[in-house]
Amino acid sequence: MDLEELQQIIHLLKEEDLTEITVWNADKRITVRRDGSVRLSSPGGELALHGVEAEESDSVDVITAPLLGTFYSRPSPEDGPFVTEGDEVSPEDTVCIIDAMKVMNEIKAESSARIKKVLVEDGDPVQYGQPLFVLERT
Amino acid sequence: MTFHKVLIANRGEIALRVLEACRELSIDTVAVFSQADEHMPYLNLAGERLCIGPADPAKSYLSIPAIISAAELSGAEAIHPGYGFLAENPDFVEVCEDHGLIFVGPPREVMSLLGNKLAAREAVATAGVPILPGEAVHEDEDVAEVGERIGYPLLVKATYGGGGRGMRLVPDPDALESAVLAARAEAKSACGNGSLYLERAVESPRHIEVQILADAQGNVVHFGERECSVQRRHQKLIEESPASHLDDATRSALHASAISAASAVGYRNAGTVEFVLDSNDQFYFIEMNARIQVEHSVSEVVSGVNLVKEQIRIASGDELRFTQEEIVIRGHALECRINAEDPMHGFLPSAGRVTIDELPNGFGIRLDTHLYNGMEVVPYYDSLLAKVISWGEDREEACIRMYTALERFRVRGIKTTRSFAQEIVSHPSFRHERITTDFLSNFAAD
Repeated sequence: MDLEELQQIIHLLKEEDLTEITVWNADKRITVRRDGSVRLSSPGGELALHGVEAEESDSVDVITAPLLGTFYSRPSPEDGPFVTEGDEVSPEDTVCIIDAMKVMNEIKAESSARIKKVLVEDGDPVQYGQPLFVLERT
Repeated sequence: MTFHKVLIANRGEIALRVLEACRELSIDTVAVFSQADEHMPYLNLAGERLCIGPADPAKSYLSIPAIISAAELSGAEAIHPGYGFLAENPDFVEVCEDHGLIFVGPPREVMSLLGNKLAAREAVATAGVPILPGEAVHEDEDVAEVGERIGYPLLVKATYGGGGRGMRLVPDPDALESAVLAARAEAKSACGNGSLYLERAVESPRHIEVQILADAQGNVVHFGERECSVQRRHQKLIEESPASHLDDATRSALHASAISAASAVGYRNAGTVEFVLDSNDQFYFIEMNARIQVEHSVSEVVSGVNLVKEQIRIASGDELRFTQEEIVIRGHALECRINAEDPMHGFLPSAGRVTIDELPNGFGIRLDTHLYNGMEVVPYYDSLLAKVISWGEDREEACIRMYTALERFRVRGIKTTRSFAQEIVSHPSFRHERITTDFLSNFAAD
């Protein structure tokens, strides 16, 4: 889909006084809403697993989401994050919270390691099995 | 009101059916899946897809928090439960209601009432629907006395059961006590509740059920009856509509009783009223299923109505779009369930990678399946692989068409019930006689 087609859709939305238009074909899906947002997604879905580049090393590990929910990097909006890149963690340390049906599930590091990369942002929706942190074993 | 987005809380062929229905209604969809199902091609038809858990159904398709969170994260307004999994769980309906989500199915109170088989019997009996003698049997009670009041043979049934779980046939008083003990243990583990009741058994019954749709405005219509007497251990293998060897007066009385039963309990959405018929075709209500059933497809084929779409319309508050007179049953339909099971070895589930050589298609054939070439059949879920549905101008044509379709259902890598179904539809008794639920045990003895 090119810019011209997108403009046509937006024009149509206004002209016909619609609130939402979804157009899809084999490899793309675009939703245009009157609140101004445009969503683009592949058939893999908006929340498709973010691929983690495979690293040929036994010392690299990944913490994946043990349940679907909303990812919180901090205990409350006023606090700082549980962990940041470069931090060393012990198995019992909480690395994030996943909120499912208003139950705040604390996710533990489960191993002694260094946080190499944080893959999601505070408030992001995450699905089961989605990689959250890349760890480097210490 | 119409929905903008519906979440489908199921897998396999029924998830695919709901996805197709939503597309036809211009409703956006959210498909949820377990890790074992991540390669299912039907997921590509969904607007969004969310992995809700591992292969274990208790942690995915049965996980209420995972499904509710998925609905909230994706902004779905309604949840279609399909059949099985959470489809008849009143607690799930309650959580949906608490979270402002519309459950595509009956209201919670109605589902709770129908989940209690004894209470359901009493509720429909007040509306004049015939029931068999039956009463509860409590743990501290003299079971022999209750058995005497009911009469033999009788069935021990789980009050919160279904699908034959916690059920025992008792031919005479001597066998009652041990049957009650065994049934209570089974009911406790399978249904989480050991409550039982005794019900007079009909010997060699026919199993006939009536498909209904009810809207929130109080209208109830039926889509004729389905004969489901070809069963193996209370699991239906072949269903058809209409039932043959049934006189018109009985047929009409069955339909009227189904409407009365649904109205008596305040039913809403798609449901099935199940009856047993004795050797004189006297019928008795046994239970009402508060969901769309696997075999709904035969009713769709003879009526031309897409029941899954109507379910969604009803859930969104729409009034039924047709009166009873406008529903016309035309021709005859058969459905054979193709399960990944080995009929030669006690119908043991069969797992493995499927290679498809040929699948049936063509005039009067409908194939409802999530099957694809290279699909891995996993042991975690129901063994239903496909539903082959044939339509004919009459039963004879539907049977021949089914036979050909089954011949063309050729897959490798797993055992299936295909040739077993083929033997049944070509059997002279099946083709010409009045079939009862004993048919398969007699058939196997041949």
